[in-house]
Amino acid sequence: MTTDGHTAPAAAPIPDPGRHLTAPATRSALRIQHQLLFAAREFLRRRGFTELLPPIIGPVTDPGSRGSKQVDVDFYGHRYKLMTSAILYKQASLLAFDKIFCIAPNVRLEPLETAGTSRHLAEFHQLDVEMAGASRDDAVRLVEELVVHMVDSTVRELPKEFAELGRDTAAFTQLLKGSFGRMQHNEAVAELRGLGHPQSPDAELDWDGEALLSARRDRPFFVTDYPKGSRGFYDREDPERPGLLKNFDLIAAEGYGELCSGSQRTNDYAEIVTRMRETGENPQKYRWYLDLVREGVPGSAGFGIGVERLTRYVAGLDAVWQASAFPKLAGVVSP
Amino acid sequence: MSDLSAPGFPEEEVRRRARAGAAAAFPPPAEYGRVLFGAEHGGDRRSDGERDPLDALRITPPVLMPQRLARLIDLGREPDYRDVELATSIGGFTSAMPVYVSALGSTRAAGGDLGLALSRQAGALGLPMVIGENVVPVNGYGRQGEAADRALLGRLRAYAEQLPDGRGGVAVQQSTEDADAEVWNLVYSDPAALPLLESGRLAFELKLGQGAKPGLGGMTVLDADAAARVGDRYGLDDVFGDGRVLRSSTPGTFTAEILRQQIRLMRNNFPRARVWVKLHPGRDVAEAARVAAGAGADAVTVDGAEGGTGWAPEAFPAQVGLPLAECLRRMAAAGPPPCLLVSGRMWEGGRVVKSLALGARAVGLGRAALLAAAEDPQAGLIRFTQCLALELRLLISALGKYAPDALDRDDVWSQDFPAIPAAG
Repeated sequence: MTTDGHTAPAAAPIPDPGRHLTAPATRSALRIQHQLLFAAREFLRRRGFTELLPPIIGPVTDPGSRGSKQVDVDFYGHRYKLMTSAILYKQASLLAFDKIFCIAPNVRLEPLETAGTSRHLAEFHQLDVEMAGASRDDAVRLVEELVVHMVDSTVRELPKEFAELGRDTAAFTQLLKGSFGRMQHNEAVAELRGLGHPQSPDAELDWDGEALLSARRDRPFFVTDYPKGSRGFYDREDPERPGLLKNFDLIAAEGYGELCSGSQRTNDYAEIVTRMRETGENPQKYRWYLDLVREGVPGSAGFGIGVERLTRYVAGLDAVWQASAFPKLAGVVSP
Repeated sequence: MSDLSAPGFPEEEVRRRARAGAAAAFPPPAEYGRVLFGAEHGGDRRSDGERDPLDALRITPPVLMPQRLARLIDLGREPDYRDVELATSIGGFTSAMPVYVSALGSTRAAGGDLGLALSRQAGALGLPMVIGENVVPVNGYGRQGEAADRALLGRLRAYAEQLPDGRGGVAVQQSTEDADAEVWNLVYSDPAALPLLESGRLAFELKLGQGAKPGLGGMTVLDADAAARVGDRYGLDDVFGDGRVLRSSTPGTFTAEILRQQIRLMRNNFPRARVWVKLHPGRDVAEAARVAAGAGADAVTVDGAEGGTGWAPEAFPAQVGLPLAECLRRMAAAGPPPCLLVSGRMWEGGRVVKSLALGARAVGLGRAALLAAAEDPQAGLIRFTQCLALELRLLISALGKYAPDALDRDDVWSQDFPAIPAAG
């Protein structure tokens, strides 16, 4: 159901909550999700990360991207935001701990056309990781090892669930070997254009483009070095290659698309203010964050893995909403 | 008061400043909401006595007209002014004529029923329309219990309901304060905007400035109650000393890199919307236009110093910013953006034709559109535009041409404005 009589494009029908929750496929998917998170906690704790509980509201949050918008809440007469990402708080947390992670709820009012992409939710969770003093490449290596551990643990622990979902775990043979593929954004653009896909060289890979690259691969792969202007103000610009950011996406195999975004962060005050302007933001809104940065936050790198997206990929589900107990799609009124 | 005097010196202006203080930098606040400020007409003289260089140009039809012959062959009869085809492409939209309705924001002059009347008529005419800055932060979007007809949603709906298929489009402007209110995001995902978005008739306009007050942000005059409601978002200044305050938007900080990246961000975040950029008549306008076009803007608008506004400090319209003709000259010299839109005291066919001849694709109606709608909320703009269209056809046909984009530098001449280089 949508408002104003306009129908969201090609939205898969979501069953009522009772039927969705008790469907055997949902239960298997949620058990897989549970195991993925269990394994992630196990892995990160062993590596010395501290789990923090992230805030849900704040005066600012990560600026919107790709047309998604934020949700305002009235906080004692002040306009606060529901978190679209924990990024600012992750950076701030490094004042207390060198390595942190959290499993953060996020709300993004995605544009209506995302109701039919099979991989957008208006409410979702992210496994967020941040480490002080780390580089982009440190973060890439950590994601790789983390995902291998999560998938390996789940495949070993839950053969029955995979069987019930009809997901052949041989799909992970290449993944479990580690050493995911790596390509730069400009190489991804060239490959897509070679395939006849009109990918803009100075924008993020569009959803169709990501799916196209993803479908041509049998294991996850990283796309690195996105152009400035395609990402938020906090991704560090490569000093040796101006205009390129020290960031990455992890994209799944088999056409499932993006699983994770991350970067080495900018922690220089003047650079952050300038980059805020470049991304159309008003620095005034970010007062508390900028005050912290001015006093000094450590350089860091980190990433966020979309929990429902990873679950969808691992469980082999048609749509990401099937990996949520109470799914919310753009424009679809739901509990 | 002493009997001291200073003949020849602007004595009364000095005395007014001595009496009123900072308020004297502005027109009397009682004029706010009732008067549109900007460059004056003054015959063909500017307020400083100089002749406006665009007005000083003459439109110069040739005697020998190969393009008329081509049209004659095409038609199989002698062409006349009715054979001029005015429809053109403006920033990705199709317009019935090389004219669009300029940004009208949150000032009281453009508010309420007048803004709606203008939107309806612009829609019916199939003219592209810009919805100006600060409408959402001040009046709301229209989905949170605000009076929807006064908010952005009202103008959007009024326009879209009248719009003929295949024509027109809306460009929604954004300033710093609009960015805080996430105006573009609100519009992009609003079901009411979906038909415009799906038919390629939605654009977002990044505003860097405006003709009547280059270097300043939007300004309005508010009473104390209204000021209290927006005090956390805007600069308030008690310059009038009578309870009313000056409310200022921040103009925003731009460098070439910030402009380039903001345009890229717009294209990345809103891939289905067109990108427009509006510049004030700054001395580096050609460079800014080049950066904007290079970063992928579908249209670059230059508001000359002849532009108007709902409120401006008096020093600005009188003394700040390049004349529009000089902007056009500088851009022609540097290589103009592919779709250059200009505005500034446009109200009749002559200035329009001259602007098109100097490289513009289309012109914006600001004060003219508001006054026309105020004259008759049902059909004032429609009739005004009928007159303008006839003038354009007469003038373009007289030049032996039959489409706006056929006009070029050869079509105008001025002895008084050598800064525009002679053709060839």
